[in-house]
Amino acid sequence: MRPYLIRKLISLLPVLLGISLLAFVLGAMTPGNPAELALSRGGYEPTARQIAEMEEKMGLNEPRPMQYLQWAGRVLKGDLGTSYYSGNPVSRELMRRFPVTLKLAACSMALTVFLGIGLGTAAAARQGKLTDRIIGTVINIQLSLPAFWLALLMILLFAETLRWLPTSGNGGLRYMLMPSLVLSASGSAVTARLTRSALLEELGKQYCTAAMARGIGRWRLVVRNALPNAAVPVTAMLGNSLGGMLGGSIVVESVFALPGIGSYALTAVANRDYPALQGYVLLTGAVYVLSGLLADIIGMALNPRIRPEGKKV
Amino acid sequence: MKDALRKMAALLLALSLLPGATGCGGSGGKAAPEQVRTEERADPDAEIVLAGYRSLAPGEKDGYYCSKILYVWEPLVTQDDTAAPAPCLAESWEMSDDGTQWTFYLRQGVKFHDGSDFNADAVIANFDRMMLGVRSSSFYPLDMDAYYPNLEAYEKTDDYTVRLTFSKPAPTQLYNMVNFGSAVYSPGCFDENGDFSGVCVGTGPFRIEENVLDEYVLLERFDRYWGEPAKAKRIRIRVIPDADTRFAALKAGEIMGVIDLNAIPASLAAELEGNDNFAVAAAKSTMIRFLCLNGTQFPFNDVRMRQAVSLALDRSAVTEGIYNGYGTPTTNILNYVTPFYKEFPVEENMDRAKELAAQVLGDERVSVTYLYNGSEAAQKGEAELIAFRLGEIGIDCRLMPMEMTNMKERMKAGEYGIARMQQGLSNSEPASVFRRFMLTDGDHNQNYSLGYGNDEVEALMAEAENAADMDVRAECYYRIQEISTQEFPVVPLFNDMTLIAYSTKLSGYEARPYGIELPLVAWADGL
Repeated sequence: MRPYLIRKLISLLPVLLGISLLAFVLGAMTPGNPAELALSRGGYEPTARQIAEMEEKMGLNEPRPMQYLQWAGRVLKGDLGTSYYSGNPVSRELMRRFPVTLKLAACSMALTVFLGIGLGTAAAARQGKLTDRIIGTVINIQLSLPAFWLALLMILLFAETLRWLPTSGNGGLRYMLMPSLVLSASGSAVTARLTRSALLEELGKQYCTAAMARGIGRWRLVVRNALPNAAVPVTAMLGNSLGGMLGGSIVVESVFALPGIGSYALTAVANRDYPALQGYVLLTGAVYVLSGLLADIIGMALNPRIRPEGKKV
Repeated sequence: MKDALRKMAALLLALSLLPGATGCGGSGGKAAPEQVRTEERADPDAEIVLAGYRSLAPGEKDGYYCSKILYVWEPLVTQDDTAAPAPCLAESWEMSDDGTQWTFYLRQGVKFHDGSDFNADAVIANFDRMMLGVRSSSFYPLDMDAYYPNLEAYEKTDDYTVRLTFSKPAPTQLYNMVNFGSAVYSPGCFDENGDFSGVCVGTGPFRIEENVLDEYVLLERFDRYWGEPAKAKRIRIRVIPDADTRFAALKAGEIMGVIDLNAIPASLAAELEGNDNFAVAAAKSTMIRFLCLNGTQFPFNDVRMRQAVSLALDRSAVTEGIYNGYGTPTTNILNYVTPFYKEFPVEENMDRAKELAAQVLGDERVSVTYLYNGSEAAQKGEAELIAFRLGEIGIDCRLMPMEMTNMKERMKAGEYGIARMQQGLSNSEPASVFRRFMLTDGDHNQNYSLGYGNDEVEALMAEAENAADMDVRAECYYRIQEISTQEFPVVPLFNDMTLIAYSTKLSGYEARPYGIELPLVAWADGL
C-alpha cells in the first residue's frame, strides 16, 4: 500500500508542472496586457507612460519563458508570487479564500452524497414505479438547469419572496444552503443515476436472486446487500466530481458573493493576473489529484479485489 | 408583467426542487452573528447596510486604501455640484501671476482618526509618498505626474501653508487636484515604501472600524470630525458582485441601498418604479459612451463618412429604448460633468447622412465589423439599433460581441470598422481627453486606430498648455470641443447617468456623479 501511495504522490509533481505550464501558455497566448488592466480599474484609461512603468514593476519586460522559469523557481521555494491586480501575495490570498471554497465544497459534497445516493437507492428500490419516474424527472431537471440560472431563481424564491434564507454572503450553514444546493445539483443527479444503475446491476446478480428467493425484503436487500457493492464505482465518481465542484464554484461564488478561490480565479482571468491564476491552478490541481487518491483509498477499503497485491489497507 | 414572470419561474423552480429542498432542510443552522436584519432596528444609531459590486476598501496595497465615497480620507481640494474646485482640507489658495506657483492655506484644528494633527508636515509626507512612483488602485492610479504635471518643487512655508512650484504655467492645476488628486492620510499609517501598514487613517467623517476584504467594510462615525458630523453612526458596505443578487438583497430588506458605479442596471431600476418601498435616483455620470471608427482605413478615413455616421444615428431611441431614458444624447467628446463642457445641438438628419455617405461610397455598400462588449447585455440591443440605422446609409455591420481586452487588441491592430467604447473623466481638467483622442500621438488615437489629426487642435493644445490665463485656456477647450463635433475623432452617443436605488426607510440618499454623499445618509424620520 505504502509504495502505491508514494508512487501516486510522486506522480503529482509532473501533473502540477504540466497544468501550471499549460495555464501559463494559455495565459500568454491570450491577448491583453496585465499592466494596463491593473491600472485601468474603475473605468480609468491609463497612459502609455503609466503602463510602461507598471510593466517594468511587474517584470513583464522579461521574455515569457524566463517569466515562467522565474515563477517556477520561486514556487519551489514556497513563494507563489504577488498578484498583479491586488498587489498581495498570492499564497496569502489563496489561504484567506480557500476555507470559504472548502466549506462550500464540503457542504456540496455532503449534499451530493446524501441526495445522490438517497435518490439513486430509492429509484432502484422502486424500479419502474411512480417514485422511480419522479426521481428520473427530477434528475433530468437538475442536469439541464444552468447553475447561474438556478442560483438566481433560488435567490428569487427562497430569499426575495419567502425570505427564508439570506440572498448572499459568507456565514454559517444558512448561507451555504443555496450555494451548495446549486453546486451539487448536477453532481447529485449524476451520482443518483450511477447509484441506480449500479444497484440494478447488483440486483441482477445471483446472490441477490438467492437472497430474494429466501424472502428478504426488497429495501433490506438493496440497502444492506447491494449498496455496499454498488458503492465502489460511485465513490470513484464522487472523488472525481470534486474537481467539477471546484470549477463550478467560480459561478456560484460570484452569484452568492462568496469570497472563495473561485471568484478569485474569475477576477484573475479577467485581469490577466497570471501569478494569481497559476496559484489557483496549482491549488485546485493538487486538490483534484489528492481527492482522486482519497477516493482510490476508500474504494480499496470497500473492495479488497482492487487493492494492490490484494493486501489489507 | 416581468414581476409576474419572475414569480412564476420561481414557483416552477420550487416544485422541481422540492425533494432537494426538503432533503437538506436539516442542515440549516443558526443565522451568522454578523448578519444584521436591518428591518428589526429600533434606534436611529442602528447600523445601515448598503452594498456595491466591488470592494470599496481594497486595502493596504491599493494606492488609496479605500474610495473617496467612503468619506474616510479627505482631499485638499474637492469639487462642488458644478464640478468646480472647492475647499476641503485646504481652506483657500492663490496662484502667482505667472501661473507657476500655487500656495495652499490649510485648515487648522483638523485631527486625523489616530488623534494626530493635520498640518503642512502631513501634506508634505503625502507628497513624498506620491513621489515614490505610480501606485495602482481600484479607482484611479495614484500618479504624481498625472495629478501634478510639470511640478518642480513642493515645500512647507509654515505649519499651515504649502507651496507648489511648476515649470510651466498651471492655471487649471486645481482641477487636477480635485478629490483623488490630493488625498491626505496620516503619515503614521503608511511605511517608508508608501504602503499602508494597516487600516488607512484619514480626517473624514467616517473611520474604518473593520475591513474584511471582499466581504464588507464597516464604517463608524468619527466624533472629532472638524465639519458637520455624519448622520449615521455605523454603515456597513457589503460586496455583492452580481447585479441581480444585489437587487434581490435590496428587495429582501437585507441591504438598504446600492452604492458605487454600476449600482443597478437601468432595466432593474425600471422594475422598482411605482414601488413605494424603494426609490431610484440618477445623477450625471463622468462616463461618456461613444463609437470608435477605424480612421486608418476606408471608409472612415474620410471625415464625411464619420459625419454621415453621426447624422444617421438616432441617439434618443438608444437612450430611451435601451437605457430607460438614463442617458443624455451628445455629439461632444467631452463629458458634461466639467465646467469646461460646452453644449452643442445634437444634429441627426438621415437625408444629409445619405448624401454624405453617397459622396464617399458612390453606389457601393460597405461591410464593416462592429465590435461591442459582450459582457454588457444592453450593448447588443444598442448595436442592433445602430446597425439598422447605418444600413440605410450603405454600411452593413457584422456585429461581434467581444471580451473587452480582446477587443482592444483588435482595435490596436486596426482589425475593425466600428467599436463601442466608453471613457470616464478622472477629473474636471479636460486636457487629457483631448490629448489622448485628438492629438496625433495621443495614446487612444493610436491604440484605437482612430487615425485622427488636425493641426489646429495641436496648436490649440499647445496654446492652452502655456496659457497662464484660465479664460484663454477655457477658450481653447471650447474650440476643440467644437472641432470634435464637426470632425468626429470618435462618434459620441450619450453621456451616462449614475443610477442608485435605496429603501425609502433611508433619508439623504442622493445620487452624485460618483456614488452618494454618505455622511448625509440616515434612517428616515418617523420610522
